[in-house]
Amino acid sequence: MASNFLLRRIAVAIFTIAMIVVINFVMFRAMPGSPERILGRNPHVTPELLAATRERWGLDKPIFPDQFVRYIASTAQGDLGYSYVTRGATVVEVLSAHFWPTIILFGIAEVLAVVIGLALGAYSGWKRGGPIDYIGNGLSLLLYSTPYFLLGMAILLLFATGLGWFPTYGMLTIGQVYASPIDRFVDFLSHLALPLATVTLGLVGQYAIVMRSSVVETMSEDYVTTAKSMGLRDTRVLRAHALPNAMLPTVTLVAINLGYVVAGAITVEIVFNWPGLGTLTVDALTARDYPVLQGIFLLLSVSVVGFNLGADLLYGALDPRVRT
Amino acid sequence: MSAGGVAVPLPGTQARSRVGRWLEFMRRLVSRPDGLVGVVILLIFSVLALAPTFFIGPLETAITATGPRLSPPIPGYPLGTDELGRSMLNLTVHATRISMVIGLLATVVTVFVGVFIGIVSGFVGGRTDAVLMRIADFFLVIPTFVLAIILTSIIRDAVGGGTTEVFGIRLSLLTIVIVIGITSWSSTARIIRSQTLSLKERAFVDRSRVVGAGGGYIMRVHVLPNVVNLIVANAVLVFAGAVLTETTLSFVGLGDPFQPSWGQLLDAARQVGAPGLGAWWYFVPPGLCIVLVVFAFTLVGGALDDMLNPKRRGRR
Repeated sequence: MASNFLLRRIAVAIFTIAMIVVINFVMFRAMPGSPERILGRNPHVTPELLAATRERWGLDKPIFPDQFVRYIASTAQGDLGYSYVTRGATVVEVLSAHFWPTIILFGIAEVLAVVIGLALGAYSGWKRGGPIDYIGNGLSLLLYSTPYFLLGMAILLLFATGLGWFPTYGMLTIGQVYASPIDRFVDFLSHLALPLATVTLGLVGQYAIVMRSSVVETMSEDYVTTAKSMGLRDTRVLRAHALPNAMLPTVTLVAINLGYVVAGAITVEIVFNWPGLGTLTVDALTARDYPVLQGIFLLLSVSVVGFNLGADLLYGALDPRVRT
Repeated sequence: MSAGGVAVPLPGTQARSRVGRWLEFMRRLVSRPDGLVGVVILLIFSVLALAPTFFIGPLETAITATGPRLSPPIPGYPLGTDELGRSMLNLTVHATRISMVIGLLATVVTVFVGVFIGIVSGFVGGRTDAVLMRIADFFLVIPTFVLAIILTSIIRDAVGGGTTEVFGIRLSLLTIVIVIGITSWSSTARIIRSQTLSLKERAFVDRSRVVGAGGGYIMRVHVLPNVVNLIVANAVLVFAGAVLTETTLSFVGLGDPFQPSWGQLLDAARQVGAPGLGAWWYFVPPGLCIVLVVFAFTLVGGALDDMLNPKRRGRR
């Protein structure tokens, strides 16, 4: 039975990625500015040259199946085409240059937010109706209603411009010569602090809200009542009986939310000029660099699908009930 | 059983008119603290959105701007000015209209698509259901925001800009409405579908089928009225999401400077470098409006969910 569940999740993931690729292909065709259309505007272009160009880019073949198959084949080989803006650079090169800053920023923020959010949610769910619950819940709701970039602008104004504790933009001070790698790392950390705080704060609210309601729900389960009636201490009931079960929905939430986190990622990076995929997205959008935009979409979607699959499998391992 | 919202009026409520029942419902909503706070905030913003010119005069432009440039709040300019000398109060109030109208239109599109697909998927079932729900799951999983960015710019390049207006909103901004609709219907569809599945098994649907009613008729007359509660509660949350998405899309440069929304103002503030210049008055007013409106919608949405969703009734 377990393998059946596993296979189904993997099939869904593969289907989703296939759909993403198809959507990318369709968008490529729908977007304005094929070489043919641009060349056609020039009255001096001979029909022979036009035909040669069409052949060079494979546009003389029918869209389906020839162009489609070719697109799938090159995507599968990791060939995503060329960036319009950075001449000669492939999309893959452009993406990999911006990949790590985003991974570092969001990886750390995600971990911090999960730890803080779950702790806060568990505590306020446990002490339901108490002052911490009241304040925490209101604060979580407010944070949840605030766009990440707005939070970022406020934090930037307060701690960088106002108090001058942190640098205002970038990942490293431009033109700085470092005496040692440690200095360089410290400079990096001081640049990382504010965007990291922004993303963490942005995420904490939603995790706390879900964890809280999950704990509240679990507390009314029979096995918790049983544990209490056995005379176990409150903290033991919470740690050993309520929390492990309350964690389950949160695992799914963290994975599902990744898709939305990406939107926040993009905007926080622009506010702090963090040189990651988000800043790249906006630069590519401004320059209408469609191949790069679609590369970003493909990369982010596939990562999100991958993480979701991981969460499903983890969920299956944690909760035997879903393995049917 | 009766908690499912089946249209069997309780004794005593039968005589009351539709308006009366609606008023009674609103009274229950505002008797809760969260409902009251949410409704009051939304009322204020709705009034501002309906007649911004009445309150604050026409939208200032680079030509009609009279204030000093990028000035903090001073007499005559209670919220300061932007880099062109326009009053931030004037801009923020006019942006209310754009943000709220786009949010409303996007909600209508999203809910319409979601309800249609949800009811058809749940009622027809079988292969149609499987295909539609796979598509819905697809939109739930992928980072729709990136898709929305690409779709908006592609559609806009294809359709072209221009100054054609629909509902007082330029065509370029309407693409945002369409794109939000395309990318965010799936959670509505999921919710409506599961309710439809349970409604389909009820006796009154069987009865209708036995006397010869067609699928379309049953969906319209028996299913739709019974999911209205869910639609309303869901639409409120969709509205909050739509306002946020519009804000974010505008913030990454897909807004229209000639019809500024809150997100567009924030984008302008970022481009001018307002946080770095310490110009808090440039982004705090529109930012506060966004937070308040989304917060209010979330409060009302939660309150409605508590009141209408039989599973959550009586629980906090």
